[in-house]
Amino acid sequence: MLYFILRRLVLVVPILIGLTLLLFVVARLLPGDPVGLAAGPNASAETIAQLRQEFGFDQPLPIQYWTYVTGLLQGDWGTSVFTRRPVFEDILTYLPATLELVFAALLLAVVIGIPLGLLTAVYRNGALDYATRTLALGGIAMPRFFLGLLLQLAFAAWLGWLPLSGRYPFIEMPPETITGFYTIDSLLAGDFYALRVAIAHLVLPAFAMALSPLATIMRMMRASTIEVLQQDYVMTERALGLSNRLILFKYVLKNAMTSTLTVIGLYVSWLLGGTVLVETVFDWPGLGLYASQAILTQDFMPVIGVTLVIAIIYLITMLVVDLLYGVFNPKVRYA
Amino acid sequence: MTVQHPLTIPARSQSARMENWSRAFYRFRQSWLSMIGLAIVILLIVAALLAPYIVPYPEHVGGVTNTAARFQPPSADAWFGTNELGQDIFSLVLVGSQVSLFSGLAVVFIAVVVGTAIGAIAGYVGGWADETLMRVTDLFLTIPSLILAMAVAAALGTGVFNMIVAISVTWWPAYARLVRGEVIGKKEEQFVVAARALGAGPLRILCRHILPNIVSPVVVKASLDMGFAILTVASLGFVGIGVKPPTPEWGTLLSTARSYMPDYWWTAVAPGMAIFLAVFAFNLLGDGLRDILDPKARR
Repeated sequence: MLYFILRRLVLVVPILIGLTLLLFVVARLLPGDPVGLAAGPNASAETIAQLRQEFGFDQPLPIQYWTYVTGLLQGDWGTSVFTRRPVFEDILTYLPATLELVFAALLLAVVIGIPLGLLTAVYRNGALDYATRTLALGGIAMPRFFLGLLLQLAFAAWLGWLPLSGRYPFIEMPPETITGFYTIDSLLAGDFYALRVAIAHLVLPAFAMALSPLATIMRMMRASTIEVLQQDYVMTERALGLSNRLILFKYVLKNAMTSTLTVIGLYVSWLLGGTVLVETVFDWPGLGLYASQAILTQDFMPVIGVTLVIAIIYLITMLVVDLLYGVFNPKVRYA
Repeated sequence: MTVQHPLTIPARSQSARMENWSRAFYRFRQSWLSMIGLAIVILLIVAALLAPYIVPYPEHVGGVTNTAARFQPPSADAWFGTNELGQDIFSLVLVGSQVSLFSGLAVVFIAVVVGTAIGAIAGYVGGWADETLMRVTDLFLTIPSLILAMAVAAALGTGVFNMIVAISVTWWPAYARLVRGEVIGKKEEQFVVAARALGAGPLRILCRHILPNIVSPVVVKASLDMGFAILTVASLGFVGIGVKPPTPEWGTLLSTARSYMPDYWWTAVAPGMAIFLAVFAFNLLGDGLRDILDPKARR
């Protein structure tokens, strides 16, 4: 198993090399002049040329690429042309906010989606089944950004139960940074007021992101549970007099989880890649807003950096999913 | 007087084909969800086609403002209310359906053509061509598609055409994978071997014998993708990288409405519901088509 993990990690390296190469080529092929944009409309040709030299844009592409890749390994992910800040530091600042949001959404989707899928499969064609299936059909089609706006309208503007946007009130100090996750940091500091505030800010954006994966996970779980329930061994277990609860949780759940697991893994990258939409609605200071700012100014280094981070997280998730298959299905062997 | 004999052979093959179609349509009709999807899709297409003729305030679509009537709540005059410029939101949403539906269709079409070409070559030729093409495809699949589409669209500049190109760049790899798998599955079948034995060239074998046999999974995926293509178009509009105003587009309308949100909620609800309805309808239609065209996925 250790060999399996190591081999998969080694395979990540050529993918990352290919990815940086591809992004570099795409960035170069596209029209647009980041330096001109950063220098401003009144900049002289001399200033622009000087800036190009400073950022190394006057070098040939292979040399730029080589400088970038060797820098990557030393923790230098390039510098933003627009803000002149190092990309790696920026990413470290914004990544925890986005990860906190994505994990919260994933948690909601899994914790609600899987039991609902099980329940609707067991009480198939009942009232609950029809109600949740209809809601799920709508949930998959609901745009995250529109749902976010509706949630803001209902729970922040009209009912006033939850804050409208942001990650923490501007006038207050967020909990001291340990992990960068406000919920975990406040818990580590034992500050329950901060924990409550952080969670209150997290609920609406996390739910706006979670609805579509929740609906998909529920449908997936329902379908695979129904399939497993029709297997012969389930009938054998019933005949042996095992209780329904035991059959469901000890035997059916495990077997129904494998296909659902794949979907959950795929949703991690879907959530990360689309986080910009929800972050825009809720002014959430995360990677998505950072990337969209960079994109609007055609500042390529941050965009390449964010893309790399998301790709790395995606590859790690896929590895974790592969390892989890073994937990649910002992027949899976890692060789 | 001559007696006309019925032409037995062609008539028979014709009726068999019709029977297949009518059976497929019968199965489609069995699912009322698919029928609802189809009905909404037809309604949307008709609305988009007729939009220039039935729009109540055509001048508003062209950018004319009426500041005296800003932020009117929904009424008999303006069904969905008016926006910050006093423009009728119903007119904007109606005409906006043209951009959304057309772009969605164009994205899926380009993705199918490019993806099929690359997937077919990789699957049929095999060897190093397969390796090279598929590794590049895999790389594209690891890049978050929305971010790539945003970056390409921003660099190309605003406009419907540029937006379609930007989204298509991220959309073809899924089709390439699908088609490659199907082509590999089909290329060793006997009818392909027979065609080769008769001296057919690779292009003819691919286009005349293999591709027609893998149309179903591609059509199913394309119909399921239509909704998400429309959603992506709206997403780009929402983050501010889409078509140039005053061309109305659902995502851009929603993005503008966000600034006036708690007080003038109707400015956001109409375009948002339009996006939701279009995605919803195409998803239902796609599910229905999958059930009749893809026997493996049938429940």
